[in-house]
Amino acid sequence: MKLYISESASTSYENKVVLDDMILTKKLPTSAGSRMLDGYMSLFDAEIVTKLEENGYEIAAKANVGEFGIDLLGETSYYGACICEDGTLTNAVAEILKRKEANAVVCFDVNGAPRRAAAIGNLTYIKPTYGTVSRYGTIPAACSGETVGVMANDTSACRKILSIIAGHDDKDGTSLPEETCALLKADAKREPVKKIAVAKSMLASVDDKTKNLIENFKAKAAKCSVEIVEIDALELTAAKTAWNILMSAEVCNNVSRYDGIKFGYRTPKYEDIDELYTNSRTEAFGYLLKSTILYGSDALSTDNYRKVYDKALRVRRVLSEYLYKVLAEADGILIPACSKRNFTEAEVKTNKYISYDESFYTAPSSITGFPTMVTGGVQIIGKPFSENSLLDMALMFEKEGEES
Amino acid sequence: MNKESLIQLEKLNKILLSEEEREEMLCFFEKQSENVSGLDAIPTQDVERMVHVMPMTNVIRDDVAIKQFTRDQLQEDAPESYDGYWQVPRLVE
Repeated sequence: MKLYISESASTSYENKVVLDDMILTKKLPTSAGSRMLDGYMSLFDAEIVTKLEENGYEIAAKANVGEFGIDLLGETSYYGACICEDGTLTNAVAEILKRKEANAVVCFDVNGAPRRAAAIGNLTYIKPTYGTVSRYGTIPAACSGETVGVMANDTSACRKILSIIAGHDDKDGTSLPEETCALLKADAKREPVKKIAVAKSMLASVDDKTKNLIENFKAKAAKCSVEIVEIDALELTAAKTAWNILMSAEVCNNVSRYDGIKFGYRTPKYEDIDELYTNSRTEAFGYLLKSTILYGSDALSTDNYRKVYDKALRVRRVLSEYLYKVLAEADGILIPACSKRNFTEAEVKTNKYISYDESFYTAPSSITGFPTMVTGGVQIIGKPFSENSLLDMALMFEKEGEES
Repeated sequence: MNKESLIQLEKLNKILLSEEEREEMLCFFEKQSENVSGLDAIPTQDVERMVHVMPMTNVIRDDVAIKQFTRDQLQEDAPESYDGYWQVPRLVE
């Protein structure tokens, strides 16, 4: 099981942070899980790396990720999937945390893989509001929805790292103003979570273990005086298709830069420039990425632009307005992070597009940019900039669990 | 999507699939097409497209040139370079 792509000299546990291999560092190579970038050395650090180092943290290692972060749990990595002895899939960052080899990991959430990993590994994960953490120095895949997130064994470690990396960055064109980003700082003023809406339509296809986790959450909520209400939330079921369109279109554009000329993999087999481009990309990219590129390209074609891409952009607004409406009445929406907890290697080989299916659970937050937290194996979507309220609730649940 | 259109897409994106991969990908396109049809149930004719998920204004910074990296640094990751240039196959015979 390859957990690390590269490591620096060991450091103390408390100050050790591991990064997804989608985040650029000068000292360690960055591959994005792709043969295309195998051994690639960046000339600059990501803004979050600078912020972490300024605050006394050391970047200890880069963790194995799926190719450009678009898969289920990292299984499409050029360096191999992380598979447990019983044949079930795990994820590098989740495994690193479970083994207590790092205090926290900073992930790059393109298509929900960190959320699934945190849910399956019973870890805490926060994907903050889009624009509150700089994406400068992250390898772009689906820019309009991807965000940097933090995963840890406990909520306090998650909060500590989030508080450091949140902030405005002039170098990121999608970065929100400092006064807005400051709402994510640990000492920012916030309201407690009082009411959670359970999205019933998102529970129809989950397995019994996942249903039990939802019930566990409800029981903890009751003990902590958090009101639970049920909503149909049929609107959210459209997020998957719309997000898959937008993600594919953006990935298609973003990976068009990899042509074997200026950096990255170059095939040894070519006679002319066209063969150089085609063979380099064909040999270096994995099947899921190729599918995503081709589907994205088709969605952006003249024939399909209006029916597919343009439609997805409008559905995004419908979904965003829906979330604002629900979250005007509740403080969070409870949905699963994935349909089950035991994906197998055989399963992902049979269904190569399983991440497209499982984005059913992660797409509502990805496409709208709303923050979401994974705790106790479930996912809670919050109002924009309500990360501290969500983390307070997770902390309250953790304490309740320790006491009972 | 049919095989000819898929081959055209491959050419445009500089990717070459095997016959087996093509068959598999056509099924994938078919499934996605069904999913897209499902979006028709959501009326969007009066809905504006949403490109940026959070309200933001476009801030244009001063157009100041900065020398961030040297030519040599930029070529450190080049697959092939020669005398300060990126090396590519001959384009003009």
